[in-house]
Amino acid sequence: MVVKLGGSILRSSKEYIHAAKNIKELFIERNLRPIVVVSASKGITDLLQNVARGRKEAFKEIEDRYMGIALELGSVKLVKRIEEELSRLKKIAEGIEVADLALTDFILSYGEKISKIIMVQALELNGIRSFELNATDIIVTNNTHGDAVIDYPTTAVALEKVYNVIRDYNYVPVIEGFIGKSFEEEVTTIGRGGSDYTATTIAALLKIRNVYLVSDVDGIMTTDPDIVPTAKLIKHMSYAEALEASMYGAKGINPKAFDPLMKIYGSSILIGSWKKIGTTISKEIPKEYAGPKVVMFKDAGDYAYIAVVGEGVSSAKFVRDILDIAVRLGIDVKGIQAHVHRPSAILFVDKGKGREILKMFHKALFEEGSN
Amino acid sequence: MKTVKIVIIGFGNVGRAFARVVALKKKIIGSKYGISLSIVGVADSKGMALRSDGFTEYELLKLCEVPRSSVNLFSPYAYDYVDLRYMYDQVQPDIHVELTPANYLTGEPGLSNIVFALSRKVHVVTANKAPIVLKYRELSGIAKKNSLQLRFRSTVMGGTPLIDTIMSLRSEEIEKIEGILNATTNLILTEMHDKLIDFDEALKRAQIMGLAEADPSLDIDGVDAAAKIVILSHVIDRSIALNDIKRESLSKVKLRDVVEAIKEGFTIKYIALFDVSRKEAFVRIVRIPRTDVFAQIGGTLNAVRIKTDVSELFFVGKGGGGTETAHSVLDDVIAIALGIEGDKR
Repeated sequence: MVVKLGGSILRSSKEYIHAAKNIKELFIERNLRPIVVVSASKGITDLLQNVARGRKEAFKEIEDRYMGIALELGSVKLVKRIEEELSRLKKIAEGIEVADLALTDFILSYGEKISKIIMVQALELNGIRSFELNATDIIVTNNTHGDAVIDYPTTAVALEKVYNVIRDYNYVPVIEGFIGKSFEEEVTTIGRGGSDYTATTIAALLKIRNVYLVSDVDGIMTTDPDIVPTAKLIKHMSYAEALEASMYGAKGINPKAFDPLMKIYGSSILIGSWKKIGTTISKEIPKEYAGPKVVMFKDAGDYAYIAVVGEGVSSAKFVRDILDIAVRLGIDVKGIQAHVHRPSAILFVDKGKGREILKMFHKALFEEGSN
Repeated sequence: MKTVKIVIIGFGNVGRAFARVVALKKKIIGSKYGISLSIVGVADSKGMALRSDGFTEYELLKLCEVPRSSVNLFSPYAYDYVDLRYMYDQVQPDIHVELTPANYLTGEPGLSNIVFALSRKVHVVTANKAPIVLKYRELSGIAKKNSLQLRFRSTVMGGTPLIDTIMSLRSEEIEKIEGILNATTNLILTEMHDKLIDFDEALKRAQIMGLAEADPSLDIDGVDAAAKIVILSHVIDRSIALNDIKRESLSKVKLRDVVEAIKEGFTIKYIALFDVSRKEAFVRIVRIPRTDVFAQIGGTLNAVRIKTDVSELFFVGKGGGGTETAHSVLDDVIAIALGIEGDKR
């Protein structure tokens, strides 16, 4: 399987070690051989963005964070490696005023690259034979800096060459997410949250059944838990539902991550934390799992919208149910939008009332079992 | 399966790329050619790592992860010093891969290393140009005397089989070789044309991206391109010396020159040329029509046009880059390995 580690669980040396231990217990000791995809430690990409904007002081914070982690892990080799990478980054930071898109990508790549080096060391400290794979040798993209698209045929060739060698061994390859290289040989990035996209691309191209996206949340929630504390974990979703939910702002997965799964091979995505993998996203879900999964709100122009996402919710019957709920709750609906080919129904309501209406809808849909 | 023992001397970008390629392609090479490539020693400026029965694929991948100049940290195989004699005594190599940096004043340390290897009856593959540029005749003489091979395909347009092809032109007279032979300077010029930035900015950008050295003089003063012309001159047996090549520094090119050239339908390129019949060579800044094939060679690409008394050949390809150079080195290693008869010791 492919295991992607989000930046939110890689904030300190302890978390890198914790991640390595979990990889050992959950996968290696069960004779499963993961390909590990790492994000940058939480907050580092933002700091690197600042470096690219010419804010040289941001470098110091990056240096403190990553050197702190390296020193705590206590390996001379690791410390020297991180020093090397940071000294290159420092030269760049000192040499630029404001970076263009290509140079920005080059700068951003240091976040994931250094994280990968640390992760390999953390795995080795846990007795797992591990080695670095370079995304720039494998993930080939177009040259749209900042939001590049992966070229699957070329990437497949590069990936298969490596995989044909490593699949016979018990070594754990660790590759940085988010990073690629264009045909023009320049470093590219594939969009914020792009490590999901790296992970699903690798899984799809190698026809690997499961992709684990591990972060500090247990899975995708029925709504934003910061607004509705009673939000629940969603156990099963289809690609179409998850894609629709992410387009309406649900946290959990980058929409681009579905592209290789829909075009090449339909791996399942398992989302969660080290404590609980709460959500499984599959190409298709059984009919009994159809129905509303997520409700979100957003202010848009003169109105706010409430998006209800789930297979079948754009059907006339369900739209009627939603309207019944709205009438029962006394919500003034300004408009409604539902397409039969999309797993969502959108209600337009008064701007400023979105949050309140979201809570009411969440209660009606997921807490009272009223659908 | 015939085992061929290799030592790598110099472990920077190319050395690491070579170790990685060997690790990843060892099995394929084994099944295709019936040879088992076994890297038994690696040395950098600070130390060496030796394993007489060959590093495993995993160990090779891990070697690529040691910090720069820190092979001496690769325990339990590490030594805190470099001693080629000791290395050779311990691991008995068949092929010496020389990847130390080029020094065009003395040729060292590559020159002494290659002489040592040949004196110990070990074949040599080098990506270090300097020993070939400065002492080709002597080195090839020693190699020939000892029935050894000295190969250096990666030194000129490493991403293409240029040198092999030129060597194969046995019945044709080569009259002229010209081309874009340096990736860094071609990238700088491409950036100046595409982004309309001045030379210093383009150079700084190339340095930031790791595509130009901190001291870029070998590239921008034309030494690297001239060295390649010297190597090609050796290959066609019409040797010229590095000092005989007239060089113009690319730093002379101003943004206004680029703008003027563009306005008038030209592109500025840094061209190396060897006129064989006149035995005259130079590296200079040239305005060429935008329709000329060299004008289309952008970024880190290299290109060479070879005019013979019969035809004209044109090569385009990656000039350098760790992975491309490593593959060229590997091609040379395989070529030698295929000719090694069993265990020669």
